Formats: sequence, structure tokens, C-alpha cells
Amino acid sequence: MKRIMAAKRRKDRKVGKEKKFFLWPCDLCAFLRPFVFFLALASTTVAQAIDYDPRRPDELRACDDSYYRGRDAEARECYVRLLNGPYNSVTRAEAAWRIGDLQRANRFFREAVRSNQRLIHARVRWARLYLSTHQYADAQKLLGEALELSPNDVYGRLALAQVYADRFDGEAQRLIEALLQEDDGLFEAHLLAARMALEAGRLDDADRSLDRAAKAADSKLPLLELYSARATLDLARGRDSAAMLKDPWVMRALNYNAHYGAVFESLARFEVMRRRYAEATPLLRKAIEVQPTLWSAHADLGANLLRFGEIDAARVHLQKAYEGDPYSPTTVNTLRLLDRVNEIEVTSTRFALPSTATAPAAEVELRLRLNTREAAALQPYVMEIARDSIVAFSRRYGYRPTRPLTVELYPNHDDFAVRVAALPGIGLLGVTFGDLVVMDSPSGRATGDFHWGTTLWHEMAHVFTLSMTDNRIPRWLSEGISVFEEWRTGPTPGVVITPDVIVAMREQRLLPIADLDAGFIRPQYPNQVQVSYAQAGLVCLFIEQRWGFEQLPALVRQFERETTAREAIENTLKVPAETFDREFQAFLQQRYAGVLNRFDEWRRAAQAASKAIEAERWEDAIGAARTAIEIHPEDVADDSAYLLLALASDKSGRRNEAIDALLRYRRLGGWEPAALRQLAGWLVQANRTAEATEVLAAVNYADPLDAVQHRQLGEQWLAAGRPEESLREFQVLLALDSHDPATAHFGMARALRAQGDLVASRRHLLDSLETAPHYKPAQALLLQMIEERKE
Amino acid sequence: MAVAVEVGEAVRKKGDRLQATGDRPEVCDTPSFSGLSPVACRLSPSIASRLSPFLLLFASLTHAATHSLIISGLGGESGYEKRFAEQADRLAGAARQLTGTDADTTVLSGAGADRESVRRALRELAAKATADDAVIVTLIGHGSFDGVQYGLNLPGPDLTASELATLFDAIPARHQLIVNATSASGAALDAWKRDGRIVIAATKSGGERTATRFAEHWAAALTTLDADVNKDDIITVTEAYDYATRKVAESFKSEALLATEHSRMVGAEPARFQVSRMGTAARVTTDPAVNALYAERVRIERELDGVRERKPSLQADAYYDELDGVLVKLALLQRQIDAVQPEEVP
Repeated sequence: MKRIMAAKRRKDRKVGKEKKFFLWPCDLCAFLRPFVFFLALASTTVAQAIDYDPRRPDELRACDDSYYRGRDAEARECYVRLLNGPYNSVTRAEAAWRIGDLQRANRFFREAVRSNQRLIHARVRWARLYLSTHQYADAQKLLGEALELSPNDVYGRLALAQVYADRFDGEAQRLIEALLQEDDGLFEAHLLAARMALEAGRLDDADRSLDRAAKAADSKLPLLELYSARATLDLARGRDSAAMLKDPWVMRALNYNAHYGAVFESLARFEVMRRRYAEATPLLRKAIEVQPTLWSAHADLGANLLRFGEIDAARVHLQKAYEGDPYSPTTVNTLRLLDRVNEIEVTSTRFALPSTATAPAAEVELRLRLNTREAAALQPYVMEIARDSIVAFSRRYGYRPTRPLTVELYPNHDDFAVRVAALPGIGLLGVTFGDLVVMDSPSGRATGDFHWGTTLWHEMAHVFTLSMTDNRIPRWLSEGISVFEEWRTGPTPGVVITPDVIVAMREQRLLPIADLDAGFIRPQYPNQVQVSYAQAGLVCLFIEQRWGFEQLPALVRQFERETTAREAIENTLKVPAETFDREFQAFLQQRYAGVLNRFDEWRRAAQAASKAIEAERWEDAIGAARTAIEIHPEDVADDSAYLLLALASDKSGRRNEAIDALLRYRRLGGWEPAALRQLAGWLVQANRTAEATEVLAAVNYADPLDAVQHRQLGEQWLAAGRPEESLREFQVLLALDSHDPATAHFGMARALRAQGDLVASRRHLLDSLETAPHYKPAQALLLQMIEERKE
Repeated sequence: MAVAVEVGEAVRKKGDRLQATGDRPEVCDTPSFSGLSPVACRLSPSIASRLSPFLLLFASLTHAATHSLIISGLGGESGYEKRFAEQADRLAGAARQLTGTDADTTVLSGAGADRESVRRALRELAAKATADDAVIVTLIGHGSFDGVQYGLNLPGPDLTASELATLFDAIPARHQLIVNATSASGAALDAWKRDGRIVIAATKSGGERTATRFAEHWAAALTTLDADVNKDDIITVTEAYDYATRKVAESFKSEALLATEHSRMVGAEPARFQVSRMGTAARVTTDPAVNALYAERVRIERELDGVRERKPSLQADAYYDELDGVLVKLALLQRQIDAVQPEEVP
């Protein structure tokens, strides 16, 4: 029972700190990731190639004109003249900045601010310099100082709004709206509003913002960024990516400045944002072609090539990016990770997918990239889950992967974070880029923190929904399908809904289907992302139950072309979105009637059970836990009443009831490794070894790195007459437990013998005795083999 | 059937055996259960390193006593007090099985582990142990490091690393093992290093000051067969240290915590120093017939060592064939030994 209590303590520790990881295996996965990357790259945008602030010193304007038109040599000569001329520090700082001497620019800005503590414009520009070197905290501090001196400074607030926008902070929208309310003639504010609208898929709003920007434009300044945003809007509205070279807005930009690579870079970022990585690559190449010194495009291209496993080519571009912009932590982090590429072991397998009514038989290639230290231990299980998911999703969704699929696991969470977002410390578990799944290895987190098998299952579902729609699927549906498949077909089937989702239902905080994406992109309340995952999963569950499963793949296929959630729902299910929302609400009210109506009672019962356990009042705990289960029988999340019931029942001498509680917990999707190990132990003691083995085997998909578990499973499978499974467990034991190779070899010898491979069996038996010559069971088998040979 | 003599009995006959070892030749070509001693026979290091632990078992049983002192320091709070006391109990049990007598195992814990008691116990140990004996001192609890000096936290005044070094150095035993499982123990490692002494510290330096996990796993290594890599029922320092170190690392990893302790070990031939014996290895016999079987087993073990040494020069098939031949002989012999000396049923 210690195990169950240990599990409970771990849960206690996790709640509040990492709850989101526990709730959903991929709480910020496929869809949020491009935005995170967008954040990483947005700094170059924030670097602000065009300074719209009217306070910009006049003497810079002639040089700026050459610069904006791409006449680089002429511009440089002009700026150098200013730098060495009798001008004030701000002018010289700007000139130094434009010629790339950032250290000097920094010194001049500092000098300017020192000489006049009340300078606001200099502080704002200095902050922009910091943003251009990816130093957000320092930039924000300087903007804070500027706004303390002048709270209404428009360009200080605009710079701050950009910082917020890059971080997907809802404050950006508020700030921009306030600025435009004060002055509708702020060109830059309209541009920013358009960008945010584009990110959120509000294309008409973006269009309107760009119209207003055009009206507000200063005739003395170039419209390059407006053209670029217009081109992105064209792309968003369905223009073919490959045809963007001929887009009128792109042509206008290039007519103004033939070296304006940023227009292609912006288009590429938009493609990355909507996960169309393949389309982004030629755009980035074009950006570099027209502007070879566009370091951010080199970095983008390097990152994008990595998504396709083109490591050498990626390194070349990242190295170039680093040479031009040594300040980028994302570039440095990625290059460092690439320096350790030899720590990864690559295995590949091909397997056949049988033909179905709609698709012929096909062959799929699956590649695993695992850390060499743990590859041998993890490979069998990762391969199994990945293969099973491909088979299941191919059958369920009628889609066959056409390219090799790759799964990467990282034992160091920061390496994983750098791999997906180029920044450490990002709260992700798994990420899917088209055909590539990248995730934390089970060794990257504490035991019981996440169910890696479910995470992989979830990510593999994304591979299908993204590929089926060429990445057009909205995030709510792809996440919904992934969560739904966790519940229906994953390694821990069961509809798991956590209390905060119930609270959101009670408080009517779920979003209409047409707006559900917003819950993922710009959450308005804590935990809204997690609630949105659950809502999306429940939407899919509702569709399955109300219209039948086949409507889910049909709904996904609606996104083979550009369409909206509203249209897709109406086309597939033949009901208006509003009707769908009403029926969905009714479905929830019915499905969760117990806990919705008696939520406070449920919470009190769960708390009472927990307190009674702490006080060792077992009968009270049993009563309270049963009440909690009766009200909310699907609660297998944190501090599940089933765990408490099992503990109290066992302590009261009712082992069978304790077993029943944990079996039910597992059937509903509970997977806590300590609790399941306890269950397996009890089942063995109750002579229910077949069930025990099955339970223990399931723990491998939550915690596969426990040597004792593999040893037990190896023995149990062998006793059950399943030598193939037994051999796998002993092979993993050998890979995991370098301290005791003799036991693993002996197990392998017996499993191989049971399979009839006597030659390999003898080898492993001798390997075992080589290490441990006095290992009596191995000696006995050796003598038995000799006897058999004589016979 | 030969009657197995309990370890305690064998140790009580120590005087006789010491007399016997004195008569042994310098190089023991034909080891026998009753007389071989790696010390008395002065085996060359190359030979000694190839000796199987079983051979060493019988060697150590026959020539000298092993004394164990376990000091469980100040816990500071009830949880630690309880944990340290439990660890001390487990280690004492293992030590009694190893030494074969309660008399050679001393445990100081709780209020009884104050500075004076520890000093007295170490002085008594110095008086009792002979040069041929083995001494194991295990320190459990909290340690501290002020940047200059390590201190073992005890009720009342602490003992410093240099004070303890003086007390350790007074012990004449040529085979010493000091296991310092306390926090900050790495600070004392170099100060206690000496020829003939193996020193283990739970931490790499005095800077690792968090309460350690090493003692818990060291105790597990000595009281279960999990650490027994070669399945001979004997746990050597190497096996126990590797096991405990590995388990400590795993425990931090499973909790996704940065490890706050990294053990270290200094000293020669830890694979030859036994710290625990269990099962059949905990028993000895004076039956000449059984002794002859064991002597034959030692001979086969040497043959096995020879095959292993040739491994790099042999084709895989040839190697396994040779290995097979020797291992079959060993297994058949073990069958004979088991027939006359059956395993005890717990």
C-alpha cells in the first residue's frame, strides 16, 4: 500500500505545479508550437526594419531612404558619415545600428540616456535595439522606464504591444485597441492589429486593419511592411504558396526594394504557423536569395530543415545565422544540440498495412531516433505503440502515410524543448511536425509525471489529421481527435475529465464550436488551454455518439480545402453550428449530470476520503470514497477516489475490494505506475497471475525504465507460455540493468529455448555463467542441456 | 553427510587457524579450504585479481576476524532518527552474519552515539583488532563542512575529520573499510585515505550537504542478494558500492531531480573485500571431503579465469565451446557439493 500512498504524495506534489502535464499529455503540443517558434523569430520583426516614430532625427532620413530601397553600399556610406559626424548620440546610435555595429549603438544610446535622464524617445529606441538582440527582459525594462516618464508615449506603448503580441499575451490586443481609439492614424498599430488578426485566422479583420493602415500611411515612409502583410493575407486566403512570387503585393515590395527578403520570410512564417513546413522551405530559400544577409531567414530555414531531418543542410544555415546574429539564443541552442547528434541512435523498420475497402495494402517506414543510452531499453515499446497507432489510425481514418514517419524521444527535457522551439524551459510534452513526432523520453520526467505511451498515441493521431488535410485542419479538431483517440483506442482507454473541466462546464465557460480555436491560441482564463483540449475531445466523443464514428473522418476531410469550422460542421453533420452547440451542451449536461448537479458534494466526499486516509480511519474513508465514485465514476485523475478506496479497503482487510477498486480505476483510464504495480502484486498474491501480468505489462507504457518490473514480467510471461514477450522483457532488462547481466542473460536463454532457438539459448546461458559461474539455476539448465544433447 | 559448521564456530577457532596460516608456504599453488589466505600466501596481484570471490571467501574465513562498528549519528528530527536507526539495525544484522558473532559488531546510535562513546568504541576497536583482521566502520547520519573541516554530527559536540582520522589510524588492521554515508562526507575522503584502507563517501565533496540516500541503498546491498552480480552469495565492496551508487542515481532520476550526492571510493582491491555473506556462503565446514570438493572448485575457477583471459584471442564459437566445457565441470561439481551440503530451507 506504500506504493499507492507514494503515488498519492507524488500527485499532491504535482498539483498546482505541473498539473497541466498530468491532465493532458500534450498540453501545448502541435498547434501552439508554431506560435512559440513564431515568438522566437518575431524578434527580428521587433527589430523594426522601418522606424515609424516621427521623432527620428531628420539627418537619418536620406540614409534611411537608401536603406529602405536596398541600396546597401550607398546606405552604409551615408550612415558611416553620420556616425563620424558632429551629431548627437541618438543619431550616431541609429547609424551604428544600421551598419550592424550593435555594441557601438548600445554605447551611444546609453550615453544619450545618461546625458539626459528624461529622454523618452532614446529609451524606446534603445529598447528596440535590445529586442533586436533577443533580450526581451532588458527591452521591457527600458520601455517601462520610458513609460514611467511619459505614460502616454505612443511609440513606447507600441513597442510594448509588440512585445506582448510576440508572447501571445492578451494585453497586446487591449493596448492596440486603446492606442487606436486615441489615434486612428497610427500606421504601425494597424499593422500590428492586422498581424494579430492573421494569427487568429480573422482574415476579414486583418483586411480591414490593413485598409486602415494604408489610409494612415506616411507618404515619406515605405509601405514595405504593408505590402508584406497584404501578401500574407493573400496566402491566408488560399493563394498557392508556390505562386506567391507573382503576387502583386510581393511584386510591389520587390519593385520598391529588390533585396527585401523579409516579404518571403513573412510568408514562410505564416506557412510555418499553419504547419505547412514543406511550403515554407522554398519561400525561405527565396528570402535568402534576394537578401543573403537576412540572418533570421537563415535561422528559420535551418529550423525548418531540421523538421525534415536534413541535419547537415540545417546546420549550414544555422551556422550562417549565428555568424550574422550571434545574439540569438535559439540559434545557439539548436547548434549546440546538433553538436551532440551522435548521441542519437536511429533505427528503421518497414511494415505492411493491410488493404481495406477504400485503400490498397501499403508499406510504411517508421524511423525511431532515440538516445543511445536508452535506445535498447525503449525501442521495443516505442516501436510497438507507434506501429499500433499507425495501423489503428490508418484503418479508422482511411489514410495511408505516404512518407516515412519519424519519432524522436529526448531524455533531457531541455534538449527536447530546444529541438522543438529552440528554447529550453518550455512546457511541452510532445510536438508533431507533419511526419515527425518529437517528445520527452520517459526518462526526461519524474516517474508518474506523464504517460509516454498516451502522449505518443496522441501525437501519432496528429500525424494523421495533419497529413490528411495538408495541415489545414484547425487546431481544435486535430487536438480533439487526438484526445478522443487517447480515450477510445490509446494505451489507457477511458474518458478522463478533470475537475477544472467540470468547473468550466458549470460556469458555462466552454466556447462555441466556431470559436474553439481561440481557447488554444489566446486563453482568457487560467487552464483554458487544458479545458479546450477536453472540450475538443468531448466534441469528438459527442459526434461519435450522436452521428457515428464515420462522421469524424468525414469532418476531418472537410479540411482538405480551406474552410471554416462552421462550414465544416454544417456540411458534415447537416446542422447549423448553433444547433450543434446546443446539442453538445445537452450531451454534456446529460453525461455529467451526476457531478454537475452534486459537484460540491463530490468535492466534499473526495476531501473527506483523503482526510480519513490521513487519519487512518479506514471505514470512513471507504464510505466517503464510495460516495465520490458514485457521483463522478470517471474520476481517475489526481487523488482519484478509487486509489483511496483501494488503500482503505486493503487496510481494512478487504483485499478483494481493494483489487476491484484498482481494476475499475484502470479500466477507466487510471495509469499511475505505483498503483498498478501494487495491483499486479495483489493479483499475484491472489493467484490471478494472468491478470497481474497484463497489468504489469501496461505499466511499461507509463514507466518503462524499472529493471525489477522487466525481470518480473520476463518471468511471468515465461510462466504464461509467452516466450516472445518474455524475451523482450529480458532483453530490455539487459539494456537497463548493467549491474546484473547474469539474470537477464539467463532469462533470455530460457525464453529462446522456449522458442526453440537452442543455439542462441546456449550462448546466453554461457554469457550468464561467464558473469556468474555459481548461478545455480543457470548451472542446472546447462546440465539439462548437456543431458539433452546426449540424448 | 558432513555437518556444516556455523560461521561463529569457525571464528571462535581463529587462534588455531592463525597458527596454521603461519605454516603456509609463500605461494599457495594448491589452495585448500581450510588454510588459504591471500595475505599469508602473498599471492601475486595478477593471480589475486583472478581469484573467484568464493576463493576469497574461504580465505577470509580462515585467517582473520572481521570487526564492524556502526555509528548512527544525530538525526535532528524524528524521521531521520528513525531512518538512521533502521539502517543501523540492518547493517548490524549483515555485519553479524559476516563476522559470525555478536561480539565483533558494535552499534552506536541515538544518545549512545555521542562524541565520547564514539571515541571509546574506536579505541576499543584499535585494541581488539589485529593486523590480520579486517575492520569495517560505517557512519550514518548527517555530516557538515565549514569550508575547512568535515564534522560528523553527534549528540553534543561533533567529531571532526582529523579527530576521526587519528582514531582510525590507531587501528592496526591491515584491511580497513570506512563507509561514510553522511552528507558532506566527500570532504573527509582524502584525509582518511591510507594504504590498506578503502574509504567510501556518499558525496563527492563537502559541498553536497543535503541529507543523503546512500546509506539506505548500501544497507540494501548488504542485506539482499540484489547486489550480488556473480551470484556467489557474497557481497564485495565493489558490488555493494556499484549497487548503492547506481540506486542513488536511479532514485534521483526517477523523481526527475538533480542529484545532490555523488559517491566516491578510494582504496585498493575493493573486489576482494567482503562486506556481506548470505545463503550457502554464510556457512563453513571442516569436513575434509567437502573441503576437497571446494578445493577442486577453486581449481576449476582458475581454469575458467584462464578461458576468460583468452577470450580476445579466440573465435566466438571456440570461446563458447571452451567456456561450456569448464562451466559444465563446475556445474557438475556444484551438484556434488550441494548433495553433501544442501541449501538450508528458510
